[in-house]
Amino acid sequence: MSNQQLPEILAAVFREIPNLVFTEQTARRLRVELRPDTLPALLELLKGRAGYLHLSAISCVDWPELDEFELVYHLWSYEVKTLVSAHIYIPKNPGRYVSVYDIFTPAAFFERDIHEMFGVYFEGSPDMERFILTEWTGPPPMLKSFSSLGYVEETFKWEQYSPDWLKEIQANGGGIVE
Amino acid sequence: MTTNIPITSDPNTDIACRTPDMQERSLLRKVIDRIADRCRSRSLFILHYCTGCGAIELPPTITSRFDSERLGIQPMVTPRQADILLITGYLSVKTLKRVILTYEQMSAPKYVVGMGSCTINGGMYWHSYATIKRLQEYLPVDMYMAGCMPRPEAIQQGFLQLIDNIDKGKAIAWQDYYQQYDKYLANQQALFGPDWHTPTDVIAEARHYELFTEKTTGEHTALLAKYASKYVTLQHEEHEEIVK
Repeated sequence: MSNQQLPEILAAVFREIPNLVFTEQTARRLRVELRPDTLPALLELLKGRAGYLHLSAISCVDWPELDEFELVYHLWSYEVKTLVSAHIYIPKNPGRYVSVYDIFTPAAFFERDIHEMFGVYFEGSPDMERFILTEWTGPPPMLKSFSSLGYVEETFKWEQYSPDWLKEIQANGGGIVE
Repeated sequence: MTTNIPITSDPNTDIACRTPDMQERSLLRKVIDRIADRCRSRSLFILHYCTGCGAIELPPTITSRFDSERLGIQPMVTPRQADILLITGYLSVKTLKRVILTYEQMSAPKYVVGMGSCTINGGMYWHSYATIKRLQEYLPVDMYMAGCMPRPEAIQQGFLQLIDNIDKGKAIAWQDYYQQYDKYLANQQALFGPDWHTPTDVIAEARHYELFTEKTTGEHTALLAKYASKYVTLQHEEHEEIVK
């Protein structure tokens, strides 16, 4: 997709950011990849020039084979009517990134959630305390390195259940389907 | 207005103030309990804890389609006026805390009904780090309704069975909570940490209902005395042991 097909207002914004690569996934859906240090500038420009007032979500992806977290910022403009997903990669160690709370206030919740689930620390975010998992003391549970099943088998008790009536059914070839 | 009604001080002369002997008392109690159970089973109020998907089966059960009110079962909004605590589906560790708080506020006799596979063994949430698996480890469960989800017919069937159990005096799981409080508290503490406590003084309630056994207190309730001493009343000798 060339710059001519983009809305001019978006093309002008993208030209400002160095090393920005974008692909059109479908109509009205743009995938943008850029360097982590330029993301706040992109958000600021999108918000100020192209009417991208709505930060729908921030997603975090833990790629097990990479040493990086992928952060995806989903933005929507009610004027351009095109979804922009800005993808950045940050190193897993130390797993710190800058907060965009000063640009989009709702980012506070998304960042707090990602901090809880993945352990990524957002500098400048107003609150990095526990959000939903107030009872949780283990490692961030959405990390691929965390074995949910292992935790369950360690924490909760399993009881074998084989009453006589079930044994009879099993003797006749029936029973519980595994 | 002054009253001049003479008060008889000798308990053996006044029939109303006479202390019945133990044999007579237990017989009397059995008769009264039998009548009370019969009455109780005809008028049950459900407190439905609808965090799970099973809640969707309750509106048809309670409203005109299946109309559980003809069995004498109605929803109730407060725990203190409710008889049945209906857990409709999975419980996360976080909501289990609230359920225990709610359960302990209910007045005895109280009945816990686990609805759906999730309360039995975690169901489809067995792999989840956030949900508890077996409800009976944390609360005394009178009845499980298996299914994912149980249909309103199954819920009605379960209610009928529960009514029958209450009528026959078989739904006595709530007594187990007082008799073996240490066991339940141990499982709760395993999830919530050693400083877990509720504002309810379960041990004192166990004494009140005369359900205090040697399993009511133990090493886990000793922790309770350590972290929540303002909520727990202890016998003097027990307290001295803990202080030592």
